[in-house]
Amino acid sequence: MSAPGGRVRDAGRRHLGAVRWCHRAGRRRLLAALVAGSLLPAALIGCGLPDETEVQVDGSGPAAEAGALNGSPARPPSPTDSNEPGPFIENYLRAAAAGEREQAYTRVKEFIAPESRAGLPEKQSSEIELTVVRLREKLEVTPPNNQGTSAVTVKVQQVGVLRADGTLAPPVESDTEYVFRLRRTEPGQGLLITDLPNVLLVRDTALRDYYRPLTIYFWNSDQKRLVPDLRYLPSSVPTERRVTDVVKWLAGGPSDWLAPGVTRLPDGTRPINNATGADGHWEVNLTMPGANDGKLALLGTQLAWSLSDLTGKLDLKIQNQKRHTVDLEQERAAHAAYPHGDLPARFTVYDGAIRPLAIGNEPTAGVPIEPADNKNVVSAALARADDQVLAALVVTGSGGRKRLKVGSGPAPVTVFNTNSGAYRSIGRPTWLRSLDKNHPAGLVVADGKLYRFDGTSAAMSRVSLAVPGPVVAVASSLDGHRIALVSGGALYVAAVSVDGGVISVRQPRRLATPLTAITAVDWIAENDLILAGAEADRRPAIYQSTVDGAQATALRTNLGAEVTQLAAYPGGVVGGPPAFSYMYEAGSGANRAAYRNNPFDNIKREQVLDLPAGSGATDPTAPFFLY
Amino acid sequence: MLTSPPSDPPTLVTRRLRAVRALWRALTGQAAGLTSGLHRTWRRSLQVRVVTITLVASSLLVGGFAYLIADKITGILLENAETDVLLRLRNGSEYAAKQFNLYNSPQEAQLQDTIDGTVNYLAGGDPTQTSGVIVAITADNFTAFIEPRTSPDAQVRPLIGSELRAKVAAGKIAHQIRTGTLDGERTKYLVYGSPVPTKFGQVELYYLVPLARQDATAADARATVVATGAALVLLLGLLAALVTRLVVTPVRVAARTAQRLSAGLLDQRMVVNGEDDLALLAASFNQMATNLQRQILRLEEMSRLQRRFTSDVSHELRTPLTTVRMAADLIFAERDEFDPAVARSAELLQAELDRFEELLTDLLEISRFDAGFAVLDSEPTDLVPVVHRVAERLAGLAERVGVAIELDLPDTPVIAEVDPRRVERVLRNLVGNAVEHGEAKPVRITLGMDQSAVAVTVRDHGIGLKPGEEKLVFNRFWRADPSRARQTGGTGLGLSISLEDARLHGGWLEAWGAPGQGAQFRLTLPARAGDRLTTSPLRLVPADAALPFGGPRDGGLLAIGPGSGAGALAVGPADGVDRAEVTS
Repeated sequence: MSAPGGRVRDAGRRHLGAVRWCHRAGRRRLLAALVAGSLLPAALIGCGLPDETEVQVDGSGPAAEAGALNGSPARPPSPTDSNEPGPFIENYLRAAAAGEREQAYTRVKEFIAPESRAGLPEKQSSEIELTVVRLREKLEVTPPNNQGTSAVTVKVQQVGVLRADGTLAPPVESDTEYVFRLRRTEPGQGLLITDLPNVLLVRDTALRDYYRPLTIYFWNSDQKRLVPDLRYLPSSVPTERRVTDVVKWLAGGPSDWLAPGVTRLPDGTRPINNATGADGHWEVNLTMPGANDGKLALLGTQLAWSLSDLTGKLDLKIQNQKRHTVDLEQERAAHAAYPHGDLPARFTVYDGAIRPLAIGNEPTAGVPIEPADNKNVVSAALARADDQVLAALVVTGSGGRKRLKVGSGPAPVTVFNTNSGAYRSIGRPTWLRSLDKNHPAGLVVADGKLYRFDGTSAAMSRVSLAVPGPVVAVASSLDGHRIALVSGGALYVAAVSVDGGVISVRQPRRLATPLTAITAVDWIAENDLILAGAEADRRPAIYQSTVDGAQATALRTNLGAEVTQLAAYPGGVVGGPPAFSYMYEAGSGANRAAYRNNPFDNIKREQVLDLPAGSGATDPTAPFFLY
Repeated sequence: MLTSPPSDPPTLVTRRLRAVRALWRALTGQAAGLTSGLHRTWRRSLQVRVVTITLVASSLLVGGFAYLIADKITGILLENAETDVLLRLRNGSEYAAKQFNLYNSPQEAQLQDTIDGTVNYLAGGDPTQTSGVIVAITADNFTAFIEPRTSPDAQVRPLIGSELRAKVAAGKIAHQIRTGTLDGERTKYLVYGSPVPTKFGQVELYYLVPLARQDATAADARATVVATGAALVLLLGLLAALVTRLVVTPVRVAARTAQRLSAGLLDQRMVVNGEDDLALLAASFNQMATNLQRQILRLEEMSRLQRRFTSDVSHELRTPLTTVRMAADLIFAERDEFDPAVARSAELLQAELDRFEELLTDLLEISRFDAGFAVLDSEPTDLVPVVHRVAERLAGLAERVGVAIELDLPDTPVIAEVDPRRVERVLRNLVGNAVEHGEAKPVRITLGMDQSAVAVTVRDHGIGLKPGEEKLVFNRFWRADPSRARQTGGTGLGLSISLEDARLHGGWLEAWGAPGQGAQFRLTLPARAGDRLTTSPLRLVPADAALPFGGPRDGGLLAIGPGSGAGALAVGPADGVDRAEVTS
């Protein structure tokens, strides 16, 4: 080793100096010897750690790991892409979303004239929010005046606010119209915005193009089921960082509207630096007070589902100590997020009774209700819970008033209880699947109000909701902790919490949809709703919308009649009907008819099975799925 | 001689210079005094020498070992620290690389947060718990996008040298010790740097580990080693002093005893303690002293007996001699009545009896000297009449052998405190010898005096003395030519007695002679009895004596050069023209 060598050399030089001094100091032998003797300890004092050494190389540093550049670095729109005011503003409305959230201001400000940039005050990273809007109409462009400035009016629907944690929160702004003023940088040259709203506006389509939806999961209050929570992540973020973001989101807690229904990670849980890893081996380092094996196993399952597109192993470290390892794929296979029920089977109400439907080659099932009870049915909701079948029937009683009839048990269900209350109208009930199977419960709309009903006694109790209009439809998700409901022609979602067996529906959140006068809703996917209402031109249409309203796509437009009931299967199980299958009932009175998609068609009488001889020749109504 | 113009007044500078010079002289004078004192001590005391040499040698040895040990300890401490930090650095670099691997470009917004988090993580969070280790991540290639981060927050830039930076930038793990002030205290830091590869390039990770603890430990170890070494050296010095003292003391006692012995105290003995080598030395010394004493006493006794015998024989011979003398005188007086042959015998008898008597007298005189009975009867005496008397007494003999006696005497009286009888005897002896060996050439007697001494030289021009004989002439019964018959009345003891007489006066009797040039004897006596002689008023070598090479020409020069023999000087008359004159 060369370091001590250097020190020795150094000290040696000093020692030599001392000796030389000795020679100078005394020619006499005696004196020289005495001085040399007394100087030796002095020289010795000098041989401590050196004040400074040469640089010594200990070898080569680590080599760079080969890593794939993943993520899609889509080119963000630039102000020079268009010289026309309309497309220029459209590009502007995409710019904030086109890349990393932290640099949204940088990208956006390229569109803004330097003198006007102060009109868009920058916020710090965690407070950057994108205001997501949906264009109601095409842009109105005022032609340039003689000074070369033009104005663009954007009529919008406020969809929400994309926050740092990837959630789309309900809109904060209420503006429905924004006006942008533009000027030319040079005559005949590019454009710059001189007057603009002071929020970062983003079109809903930009969110679709530059962000990818990502579902993370939170445990419900009894930690038996995972409740999905929809987030958005920029597409430019590579897979490796996605793990970090997901962990941060999980640590940050669920979306506001979902919070009452789920449990957060233990207080004080936060990631330590980034989650690292690649190629099927991931490492997450966390601070988690009171971490134990149970909590870590829960977190492992939560992570496995939240990182549903990753495979491989994930090491959970608590304060740098490896405590738990999850094989992501195995974990997902071993622990379902929530029960998906059985293979779905189609049923319809035909001539006051529930009958199975045979569509194509799909498997069918017999009616799991004792035939004696299968009469006077207006609409029904059947659900499987392990080996039991839950049945909620709306039956017509005396005087045409409707009653709720509830029963449960192994198929066929024989024991039914009928609620004593009679209502003018009762919507199709929905079972809350998350609940204790000994105490099944569901929700139903009766006479414009939402009721909670007991799965065994059929007792109905009013659920108070802070929604303005009468409730017309309710649908529960597969996980059972989220419901969608239609009230006053608007769509709402709400979390359902179960605390000590008491079911409560939390504050509903209104979703912005392109439809008005919504009449029916159901869940068509884990995070997607199917809804029926009227488009802007008042023609009935069926749309699919994400659970936060950010994305809405038309499934079927120009329907002839108003949709009264809508049923879909959100599971997407192999062997059942194709994904995104739905059925609906439209029309009223004698024109009532049931329809299906995949392919789109009306449901014909011939497709109804098990018809007893001599049944009336009516059309099937109120179709639904049993799963 | 300083020849500065006197008009130039002494400036301040020159005055100061003078003062400094004076101080320097005083200091050097003191130093020289001290040095000479030390030198004297060094030469005289064996103990000082041994102790000094032991101290120097042991301090060199102990110092060397102590240096080795202290250096080793320092090396081990440093090596441990380096190993620890290197391990930490490698782990840290690996961790940081994993963290930064998520980013494809340095512009990405969360990269800076990640760097902050990584630095804090590697530093261990709480600065009070991390024993002062400082972790820093810099990005020299991306200063526009990435700010360097340090945890705990400190200005470490000056501590990371440019050389180290360059090495790390070149992809090497390197380290260096630097000293700097980070938290108000000047501390040595072990600075380790490693590159951290990322997808967009390289950033640098540095660990700065304070070496205060290692420094303190090294200083402790050093202090211990130095203290132990110093104690050891002192102990060795003490030991050496003790051992030397054990040896030197008996030697000193022996030296003192020997001095006393040599001063004549023959009964001095050493004390014998124990049975060791020193005791053996003392015993041997004592035995030697005893033997010497015995031998000396024996020789003294023998010498005394011999002198006594001589004296006794002389006395015993005198009585019969007196009788024989009276008979011989009678015969001598009646010789005219005998036939010529008998008459001649009577004359011969008379002459030999005279010589015999003389011999006896001299022997008695010598034995008196030997016995130490000779007494000086000093009185102020004018030596001029003494010389005249001697010359007159020997005039007959001189006339007989045809030698002229020349006198060179001062006009004034030459007064000295001497024993006139002895001086006259000495002079008579010297002049008699000169006349006898004068070979009919004149004999010159010179008398001289100065403040403290009087001197008489007797010069003859006979055959002279061979080199070395000028000492032998004073031996008893010595003859220049043993085969030569004694013609005249010399007993062979005259010069010996003269020498004793001169010594009795505290004076000198010396001889000079050269073959063919005759001889000169000089008697020098102190003017006052008891004074010590330093010089003589007259030259021993006569002015007319020729130098061995014949002498220089008149007014000529002497040449001195290397001689024929090794180390010999040749002195001769200078010849030739190439001469170097020494002028004073």
